[in-house]
Amino acid sequence: MKRYFILWWLFGIKSAKIAFQSRFGAGLLILGKILRFSLFLFFILLIASNTKTIVGYSLWQVVLFFATFNVVDILAQIFLREVYHFRKYVVSGDFDYFLAKPLSPLFRSLMGGSDILDLPMLALAGLLLFIAASQIGNITLINSLIYILLIVNSLVIALSFHIFVLAICVMTTEIDNMLWAYRDLTQLGKMPIDIFREPLRGFLTFVLPVGITMTYPAKALMGLLSFSSMSIAFGISTVFLLVSVWSWQYALRRYSSASS
Amino acid sequence: MKKYWRVVKNQWDEIFTYRLNFIMWRVRNVLQLLGGYFLWLAILTQDGQVLGYSSSVLLSYIFGVYILQSFIFATRTQTIGVEITQGDLVNYLIRPVNYFSFYVARDLGDKFMNFFFSIGEFLLFYILLQPPLFLQNDIRYLILFLLSIILASILYFLFSVLLSFIGFWSQDIWAPRFIFSIVIGFFAGGFFPLDMLPKYLFAIFQAMPFQYLLYFPMKIYLGQLSFGDIGLGFLLCVFWIGVFSFITKIIWERGLRVYSAYGR
Repeated sequence: MKRYFILWWLFGIKSAKIAFQSRFGAGLLILGKILRFSLFLFFILLIASNTKTIVGYSLWQVVLFFATFNVVDILAQIFLREVYHFRKYVVSGDFDYFLAKPLSPLFRSLMGGSDILDLPMLALAGLLLFIAASQIGNITLINSLIYILLIVNSLVIALSFHIFVLAICVMTTEIDNMLWAYRDLTQLGKMPIDIFREPLRGFLTFVLPVGITMTYPAKALMGLLSFSSMSIAFGISTVFLLVSVWSWQYALRRYSSASS
Repeated sequence: MKKYWRVVKNQWDEIFTYRLNFIMWRVRNVLQLLGGYFLWLAILTQDGQVLGYSSSVLLSYIFGVYILQSFIFATRTQTIGVEITQGDLVNYLIRPVNYFSFYVARDLGDKFMNFFFSIGEFLLFYILLQPPLFLQNDIRYLILFLLSIILASILYFLFSVLLSFIGFWSQDIWAPRFIFSIVIGFFAGGFFPLDMLPKYLFAIFQAMPFQYLLYFPMKIYLGQLSFGDIGLGFLLCVFWIGVFSFITKIIWERGLRVYSAYGR
């Protein structure tokens, strides 16, 4: 475990060096991320100026959902950025080197390069989360702990999605739009999942668990999530993780190293 | 002309070579439409009106923007930047084709493919959810709407080509495009109709060329502009096209002077 942590750290330093090779480019990317964040926040404020509530949630509650979405999304980006480069390793045959080294190829493919440029965004999302929670008030310590647990649970689901994408890439070499489809899917969680009508809401909560990933932690923080919903959330993430690891192993058995 | 028609067909073949990728691209578009539709529906269901827009008009705007984006924002010109930075541009300069006509043909292939599938997805969406929509039946507005789409496509082509020309001077071609993709959706009226903004902000947005990409065509379709305003809008749009065509020509010429086919 310690060895993997050291390796993750070294991979992170390598990625940071690459990202800051061009400080101008890195600065622009950070600026773009801040712009995207700010523009959507502005959009929420614009809507809130006209309607007092959105599907029963107040302005600050909606902001809390948005901040939570960002925390989950950014953490997944920070840790799992390497997946975006995976196709080129498979197509070029470089994936063979991952398999030949005394290191889990899954770990290398998932965490071989953290996105350091997302760190300022994480700070910004954390600040917004703190402000929204302060404005809502009545946040208990127990609910905060459950919130953290559910964020970890969301990251497990995000991890499972990424493993699944890697498995598909090994088998088809076509993942570019699949990754972006995943990102678009999670974008549906910028607002509480309650905005969707049934049966779509149920589908987006339990089958493609955007609701569990993005909405449940914020609901738990506000004390709006039942114990049974929490249990379902942990159960679904466990199933997702097991299925994704199985799909990865299945894909590896069919890897033909055709490009090398 | 025949060779450019071949480019259009090649573009379609290229798209269908990676079928799974193409399907996921369409899934992405549907997800974006779903997100926008249900968000606005949730906001609208409270009193059927938001910031001066009724349900049918606002939802028509959201669906209209979805279809317009699929046509106007569909482009392959981002690869110009890659071709410049990797030295592949020389391959085109020595061929008996006009580089820009070649990209216009590629873009047309991409646009019609996107448009065709977006219409299909929209129809499916409409049959399943039956949202209240505003249908424009005044032929004059429809003709002007089509004209505004053509102008918007030219304007967007120029923006995108100009961004790619950064490659002549810098390897950082993706970061500026990333910012552009974020800004353009917002400033063009892709998130919401721009006249929902406070008046002073709306005035600033009107002074920029981006509104002609989505907001202006959709306002024409909805019949919310007088013919005088539409005429003035067309004049200003043509003015911006002239300005950006001139800038594109200058930068292309200067770029070619410093281009050394680095990477080949």
